[in-house]
Amino acid sequence: MTSASFTESMERARRGVGVGGSGKAPRSRRRGIAPGRARTLTLLVLPSIILVLLLNAYPVIYAGVQSLRNGDLIIAGDFIGLKNYTSVLTDSAFWASARFTLIFTLVGVFGSWAVGLGIAMLLRGKVPLGGFFKVLLLLPWVVPTVVSATAWNWLVATPQSPLPALAKALGFGNVLFLADPLLAQIVVCIFKVWISFPFMMMMMSAALASVDNNVYEAARVDGATGWQMFRHMTLPLTARSTYISWILMTIFCVNDFPTVFLLTHGGPVNATQTLVVKAYQTVFLEFRTGPGVAIAFLMTLVLVVVSVLLFKGVQKAAIE
Amino acid sequence: MTATQTLVVPPRHRHRVATDAQLRGRWWKFAALLVITAVVIVPIAGVLYLSTQPALGSSATSFTLENYVKIFSETNVLPWLRNSLTVTLATVIVSVAVAAPAGYVLSRGRGKLVSGYSLLLFIIQSLPVVTAVIPLFILFAKMNLVDNLVGLTIIYVGSTMSVAIWMMAAYYDSIPIALEEASWIDGASLFGGFLRIVLRNSLPGVLSTAIFSFLLAWNDYLVVLVFIRSDTSFTLSVGLQSFFQQNATNWGLVMAVAVIAMLPPVILFAVLNKYFSVGGIGGSLAGR
Repeated sequence: MTSASFTESMERARRGVGVGGSGKAPRSRRRGIAPGRARTLTLLVLPSIILVLLLNAYPVIYAGVQSLRNGDLIIAGDFIGLKNYTSVLTDSAFWASARFTLIFTLVGVFGSWAVGLGIAMLLRGKVPLGGFFKVLLLLPWVVPTVVSATAWNWLVATPQSPLPALAKALGFGNVLFLADPLLAQIVVCIFKVWISFPFMMMMMSAALASVDNNVYEAARVDGATGWQMFRHMTLPLTARSTYISWILMTIFCVNDFPTVFLLTHGGPVNATQTLVVKAYQTVFLEFRTGPGVAIAFLMTLVLVVVSVLLFKGVQKAAIE
Repeated sequence: MTATQTLVVPPRHRHRVATDAQLRGRWWKFAALLVITAVVIVPIAGVLYLSTQPALGSSATSFTLENYVKIFSETNVLPWLRNSLTVTLATVIVSVAVAAPAGYVLSRGRGKLVSGYSLLLFIIQSLPVVTAVIPLFILFAKMNLVDNLVGLTIIYVGSTMSVAIWMMAAYYDSIPIALEEASWIDGASLFGGFLRIVLRNSLPGVLSTAIFSFLLAWNDYLVVLVFIRSDTSFTLSVGLQSFFQQNATNWGLVMAVAVIAMLPPVILFAVLNKYFSVGGIGGSLAGR
């Protein structure tokens, strides 16, 4: 590793970017530490291990056991095998909820990625007031979800709200955005894209920053069109960051509780009930711990499979 | 000297003079960004604007700050703010204090145990919070930690752990091990080398991790919803939600509370945006 690339990776780490692969290079530098120092290393890592086992591993194992029982929050209940899972899987409400979770995740991941990448490309290079725009555009990610949900409620929920008023002025009559199942689903998805695109913008800005400008100039000289450059250069050159951001956003979307819950509480008539919200409501409102945990576990299982598949994509992109 | 300078044109020079097409492109981009930013910012601007408009039953007719006076004197906003700040700062301090040394082991250590621990952290990260909340609720009920800010802090520290450790480890990866080796030769212990050489040079990594923990604790809604029962122990997120439910469309007051809830993260972001790295999370994941 040359000193130039070292300073570069230092700088990237300082900016907190690191996506371009700075994490990889130093691995070859690791020469390890003499075995006599194992005790110190153990002491350094021990507090975190205790916390992780107590606050993360233990609850998951306990929840796993609980999903095989018919108890609630107070009594442990009897062992009933996989009955919770079969009852969940044969429940049509579960599948309706799974379907909306899938839509919500697909729109959340690809919608915010498309918007984020588009804005990242606009911000690339010299633009008047570019830094100013960037700061303002990051606000939806920084502001607490409770605040943005309140703001969106004001924007769409009541008949006097700005958007329904606008719809009325345009001749659509009285549109109740959160009372109609389909409209509520659309609003929740757009809300999610609004919250998440700044994350994608930052990820993709960092990825674009590591692409050499000369590559584009060379292509332009050769007569490439804008779309050709986007399709054959921008996309492949940022593929690694794209896959990583898809993995992270998939996890964020599937596990996202407040976005949906605060805007619609899963309604109207459960139209916007994602699996996390359903799991929460099953446990804490219906007091059925077993089925609730079963829903969360089934959801996680699918999530892990999807993450692993996407992770393969990352490795492929890293080889290319 | 001058001769060589005229021969070798610095590459930057070519970019300095923009052509007409480039300038037009810039202004086109500027216009597009202006429109997009204006649309994106509407909900947040709405919050700010409404918080300064007269609430229902107010005698004021235009811009006023009486909503703020009212929420501080007549509601529990002050205790909510205090609770949020206490819990968030405690979370930040504890999670950085635990993650900083653990990240060092992940960065420098090798072997099956280290990579196994790294894998465990990845699996934990993809689990939904709901599954962890149920058993912890039962456990904390026995230990009198429900409706208790200490209990809340413990859970937040737990949920920051894996990402915080990764972020620290990713930063240490950028510090050459030769620096520590030199200190060991000078007689420093492993711990001394970590503390005085590595940690001392890791302020940006520490700040990024601290910001991550801050936002996680400050913005959380689910854990407070489940664990906190009494109004005076609420943090701002649940406080705002309950206030909104009671005062439905009295937007002036509701939005004043909302401004208080978003101010600390926005200020933090404004001051430390250099270290604000959502990318850092991705980078630390990618490196492992």
